[in-house]
Amino acid sequence: MHENQQSPLFRLSGVSKSYTMGEVVVDALKGVTLDIFSGELAVMLGASGSGKSTLLNIIGGLDVASRGEIFFHGKELTASTELELTSYRRHAVGFVFQFYNLIASLTALENVQLVTEIADDPMLPEEALGLVGLENRMNHFPSQLSGGEQQRVAIARAVAKRPEILLCDEPTGALDFQTGKLVLEVLEKVNRELQTTVILITHNAAIAGMADRVIRMRSGEVYEDHRNAQRRPPSELEW
Amino acid sequence: MVAGKHRTLLTRKLLRELWHHRAQMVAVGAVVACGIAVFVSMSSVRYSLEATRAEYYSRYRFADVFMQLKRAPEYYRKTVARIPGVASVSTRIVADVTLDVPGLEEPATGRLISLPDYGNAPILNDLYIKSGRSLQPGSDNEVIASQPFLEANGLRPGDRLRAVINGHMKELRIVGMGLSPEYVYEVQPGAFFPDNKHFGVFWMGRRSLESALDMSGAFNDLSLTLSHNGHEDDVVSELDRLFKRYGSLGAYGRSDQLSNRFLSDEIKQVGIQISFLPSIFLAVGIFLINIVLARIVAVQRPEIAVLKAMGFSNRTIALHYLFFALTPAILGSIVGSVLGAWLGKGLMGIYGDFYNFAHPLYYFRFQEVVIAVVLSVSSAMLGAFGAVRRVVQLPPAEAMRSEAPKLYRPGIFDRAEIQKHVPVSVRIIIRNLERRPWKAALSVMMIASAVAILIAGRYTYDAVERMTEVEFTEKHREDLTLLFNDSMPVSVASTVGSYKGVLEHEYYRDEPVTLHSRHRSRRQTVRGLASGGGLQRLIDSNGRRHALPPEGLLMTTELARILSVVPGDTVEVEFLLGSQHRRSVAVAGTLDEILGLSAYMDIKSLHRLAGDGGAVNGAFLRIDTSRARALYSEFKAMPGVGGIMMLKALKKSFDDLIAESMLTSTLILTIFACVLAFAVIYNGARISLSERARELSSLRVLGLTKKEISVILLGEQAVLTLFAIPPGFLAGIGLSVLLALSLSSELYRLPLVFNSYNFLFSFIVVVSVSVVSGFAIRRRLIRLDLIEVLKTRE
Repeated sequence: MHENQQSPLFRLSGVSKSYTMGEVVVDALKGVTLDIFSGELAVMLGASGSGKSTLLNIIGGLDVASRGEIFFHGKELTASTELELTSYRRHAVGFVFQFYNLIASLTALENVQLVTEIADDPMLPEEALGLVGLENRMNHFPSQLSGGEQQRVAIARAVAKRPEILLCDEPTGALDFQTGKLVLEVLEKVNRELQTTVILITHNAAIAGMADRVIRMRSGEVYEDHRNAQRRPPSELEW
Repeated sequence: MVAGKHRTLLTRKLLRELWHHRAQMVAVGAVVACGIAVFVSMSSVRYSLEATRAEYYSRYRFADVFMQLKRAPEYYRKTVARIPGVASVSTRIVADVTLDVPGLEEPATGRLISLPDYGNAPILNDLYIKSGRSLQPGSDNEVIASQPFLEANGLRPGDRLRAVINGHMKELRIVGMGLSPEYVYEVQPGAFFPDNKHFGVFWMGRRSLESALDMSGAFNDLSLTLSHNGHEDDVVSELDRLFKRYGSLGAYGRSDQLSNRFLSDEIKQVGIQISFLPSIFLAVGIFLINIVLARIVAVQRPEIAVLKAMGFSNRTIALHYLFFALTPAILGSIVGSVLGAWLGKGLMGIYGDFYNFAHPLYYFRFQEVVIAVVLSVSSAMLGAFGAVRRVVQLPPAEAMRSEAPKLYRPGIFDRAEIQKHVPVSVRIIIRNLERRPWKAALSVMMIASAVAILIAGRYTYDAVERMTEVEFTEKHREDLTLLFNDSMPVSVASTVGSYKGVLEHEYYRDEPVTLHSRHRSRRQTVRGLASGGGLQRLIDSNGRRHALPPEGLLMTTELARILSVVPGDTVEVEFLLGSQHRRSVAVAGTLDEILGLSAYMDIKSLHRLAGDGGAVNGAFLRIDTSRARALYSEFKAMPGVGGIMMLKALKKSFDDLIAESMLTSTLILTIFACVLAFAVIYNGARISLSERARELSSLRVLGLTKKEISVILLGEQAVLTLFAIPPGFLAGIGLSVLLALSLSSELYRLPLVFNSYNFLFSFIVVVSVSVVSGFAIRRRLIRLDLIEVLKTRE
């Protein structure tokens, strides 16, 4: 359906990545070919070492592919310079990590402002924090917030620039079950209300239920790519 | 067996990690090395000077007590020998004469000293004959000349020169080149700096001097050594009593012997510098070790936990981390000792040019290396103490957890309204400084100490420059000074003004007196100057000109302090020559002069006080330079002139000798201060980078450019550096004042001068060092691995 209606946001073709670890060459990705469409909420599943983080980092412009091509809106990312990749991250990509990576010396609001100050068409920082339900904790420093709250600040910071894609690497990995579900609800809401494309990687198969599309990886390859008939709200997920 | 294996594994870990942190280790080691180099060079030079002096004095029988007088019968020698406490006595004839030196247009001054006839070595104050030979018994015109004079004039044994002795021109044949412990610092009486071209010491047979000066059966110079139970003060007062009527200017001990006095002051000054600078370097070293090791321990918390979990004892682990501090300290002290020995040798070479020792020797003692190692090892332990204690106190389980998140609470800055208008990157910088104020303060202090050393190093140079400016330009406007052999009536002396080419002349009177004020007294020369005269001016260390009061004494502040008098008080003036009477005189004022201790009076007022109708000892002359040559040859033959001082020559000799060595030491200090600044600034930035790699990577991921994150990290360093400059300036001034106070002596006081150029220079040096270290850090910042940092937990 999607494939026929619109051209993909990302087109990956034969993307490979090899690392040289000392004297050993590790093939982290082996010729991944994949299209990602605008507005999708995709969950990428795989054990650790399956290559999902490497793929996410390459899509996000944090890493470069060894072989293959990636097109974003038809522009070849793999041919971009360092500065172009920085600009791409600055304007088009939002990241959410397992360990939040907030700036300890800035309040929640300021962590968001960090991004809105450099973005072209950002939302108000207060608005972004409202979206994740933290309008009352805006002036708190990270050390004064719980893990779930810190992760929601990280999400607010990622979406405040109105990115075209939100890349989440194990966003619930460091959180307990209840808090984890709260964070997933915020991600689902962002995808639904802002139409932001979301790629969420996890090794927790239960999370796949909330996705439009589930991509499974193993040994650097995509071995399954299917669409859920219906998205389940995160609150119904159990693990 | 197992323990041994563990030890080698830990050693391997240590070595690899030391290599990993090599840049920081080198920086710490370099600071330690600078401190140790200063310590070792200064303390070995002090020891070498002391040892060389002691060896020289004892080998050539330097006397303990000295006295100059007009003329006393030779049989008094036996009287003196019988004074209790006197070991041996030597009498001599000493006279200053004008010289005509081949190849030298200007006249020079020679001090002729008698040597025993028949080729015997003098009982005291023996000569070291470096080349040539001793005097031939019975020779009439042979002399041994001092090495500095011969070298400055390019003369050798075998050459000849002419002297005006007692009004007669006499040709002298140089047969040897010698040195004496009495003239280690060879300076013309009345001058402070050596001018070897125009002043030299000559030794001549006693009989020929006796006949030339009509001194047979008499002497005018006495020196003696004390026996083990002899007391200098007792012997001096007995000598004064005995020789008062023979025109004695008073006996004095070694501490007042001019050459020894200069040398002793120099050694004292070197001693002061031994403690001064090394302690600053070592203190900074302690702080550096403290922050570097604290960071290493913080990063290695998990590893410490694993080691503890594996059963390593606290002692083993503590020792392991202590070695991070000990390694750069020990290596630094070894490099510093080698560098110090090299610098010390060079420095001793400079001293050897300045002070004329028979056998200048540089002694480098193993003891100094031991002290250096002990000093730096204890500094390292002090610096490492906090971090190592934390290692020991860390429970294994807690060490496995990451360190508690950094606490930020709203600070003063957050309550300020302006913060809303400040970009986020600047807020990060401000909050980081605000969150750990002690750390920021420590960095500021360390950078400030580098600024202070830079300023203090250049201060001494500026002070000496100012000294020469005041002494050679502002104070003295004359071209030359004629020193008369004996004081002569003004009527006789007034012929000086009649020479063609003398533009201005001004007589002065130098009257040896003892000043008494209650129980204090001091032997002193009172100089009488023409009231309206302008050739010698009275200038204080601030460059202000003082007028000569028509009545009363004007004395230098230091002399007033010694006598404990203030303007308005009265002192007793006891004349040592002539009538030898005592008169009361008011202290009309004080004057803070740079050089020496002086007392001035209006010349007419001094004549009245002396009650002798007026006599003068010399004249300042300003001459027409086109007539200089003719005037010089006239002065060379002028009877009654015992010496001529050339101001320009003195200045040149000063510039060549002192300025050059000052420049060398300033340069060394500047280099060391740069090393200090670089080590502090670079280490500070490296530690910040290590602490904040994760945060900076996050910012890069969010789309901040390399330039933007560089601004955040290096901006913080820049703020610290800029904050360090004002306190650094203040500390520099403070350090300079301390230096001035401790380096000042009765002979001279360093004026407090602070050139704005000096401050600008320090500013530029520190900023350049920051920029260089900034570039070094930026290279690492650019290589920051974004993914690796984000994947790991903090």
